Amino acid sequence: MSIIIVSSDVREIEEMIAQKVADAMGYQRLDRGILPGVAEKYQIDPGKLCESLENTPSLFKNLSSRQWRHYLSCMEAETLDRLLADNIVCWGLSAHLYVTGVSHAMKIRVLSASSQGLMEIAEQKKISLQKAEKLRADALAHRKKWSLAAWNTDETDLSRFDLVINLDQIDPGEAVNTIISAAAYRKFQVMTYSQKCLSDLALAAKVNAALLKSMADVKVQARDGSVIVLTKSLSPRKRKKIAAIKELAGNVEGVSYVEVHVKKNILGEAA
Amino acid sequence: MAIITISRGSSSMGKAVAEKVAERLNYAIISREVILDASHQFNIPEIKLEKAIHDAPGILERYRHSSHSYIAYFRAALTGRMAEDNIVYHGLAGHLLLKGMPNLLKVRINADMERRIQIVMARDGLSAPEAHARILADDKERRKWTKNLYGEDPWDSSLYDLTIRIDRLSVDNATDFICQAAEAEGFRSTDKSRQKAKDLALACRIKAELADEFPNTGVTCEYGNVLIYIKGKEQASGKLTKKLNAIRESTSGIHHLETHAGTAIPPDAV
Repeated sequence: MSIIIVSSDVREIEEMIAQKVADAMGYQRLDRGILPGVAEKYQIDPGKLCESLENTPSLFKNLSSRQWRHYLSCMEAETLDRLLADNIVCWGLSAHLYVTGVSHAMKIRVLSASSQGLMEIAEQKKISLQKAEKLRADALAHRKKWSLAAWNTDETDLSRFDLVINLDQIDPGEAVNTIISAAAYRKFQVMTYSQKCLSDLALAAKVNAALLKSMADVKVQARDGSVIVLTKSLSPRKRKKIAAIKELAGNVEGVSYVEVHVKKNILGEAA
Repeated sequence: MAIITISRGSSSMGKAVAEKVAERLNYAIISREVILDASHQFNIPEIKLEKAIHDAPGILERYRHSSHSYIAYFRAALTGRMAEDNIVYHGLAGHLLLKGMPNLLKVRINADMERRIQIVMARDGLSAPEAHARILADDKERRKWTKNLYGEDPWDSSLYDLTIRIDRLSVDNATDFICQAAEAEGFRSTDKSRQKAKDLALACRIKAELADEFPNTGVTCEYGNVLIYIKGKEQASGKLTKKLNAIRESTSGIHHLETHAGTAIPPDAV
């Protein structure tokens, strides 16, 4: 009765370990297979949605910062909504970055066998080991930049995970067994409070996605159906913005009360 | 079976976990007694050794190489103990000092700051801000020490086989993980791994003998055949030859000893 979030520095390893855990435990899977459904539900371009999971906004790729944030918020809202079902193994959706404060969500990081992984990259791309090492360092730096920009969280900071398993000497099968036994621990079992925390996160994410479709610069918190939205605005537009937020957030299923806090946009007013 | 090193930040319950693991697997547990070994073997006051392995070297010490010598003594004593299997070591930088040791399971225990503060408050009778400041200072010192001597960050989890965040688990849960991992094929000792451990211990012993007078040397050892790599002018020194002859006579297990001058010190040399 828990949520297992698996991530790795190598996509294939992440998928392999997560699938084995899901199979062994008979849990549902939650991965990038949901993205076409997300694109349809929120009426966004599926190609750009996938792109936003890999890269930061770029003029060259015709992906603005606002669009990028909206796409990520849609994916986050859908993922959190599906995680409410429980007994799920989730991977590929960066859930380890935004599922926070939920005690029954166990976050696992699996590190690829460094020497073997490097040799595989060198063989595949027909490059030297040094170049393969540089490629891998660049890829890690790219993920760090992306995760900091998206959720202000460093994905490569391994202290955030409950368990980090390095496959240098530990066999993937043994890693899977370790994860399965950890999932049985009492601290990763669902409690009323942890489920409530997840419901609050899911509601906040839904409201966030609804608001980011038409505006930027919003932060949303939710508690038992009450939603607090923090935003910035120029003084003359403040009332209009509050009304718009109240209307959009109020239309989201599960929201019973909306409170909006507006900070002065000093830079905007100076301009 | 395996050699297990448990690294942790101060007050992160690493000691409790290490004791439980040792008890459950029926392994020997070692920590600060290595300082006593090194102190006896190399005739160095315990207090100096303890300071050198805890505090980061100051600016002058970096040039005097004294910290490096003390680390070499400590490492020789540690690898000497590790020539036997079935050991849990919980102490500073085990994963770095034992680099090159086969069947070594490197574990890191992380705890969140709130829990660490509570432990220090209860243990040392400090207020929360005092406990927080003490933990931060200790972490900073350990980080500086490891970075100065090894260029590695002790908080980098990729250096470990298993990293456990203890605040969401109990000591028993962490013990379960470690015991399970220790059973993995990669950590089982074989004749080859035992030989490698012996070779590493011998290389570290010779390095310790040389560290004070000849700091710019690297030592490797394979089946008792010792290669000493020398940087700079020391190659022609009669003093070095004399020292090596003395080492050859006083150290058991050396089949053959050879010096290489002017070549780069290989990365696996100690």
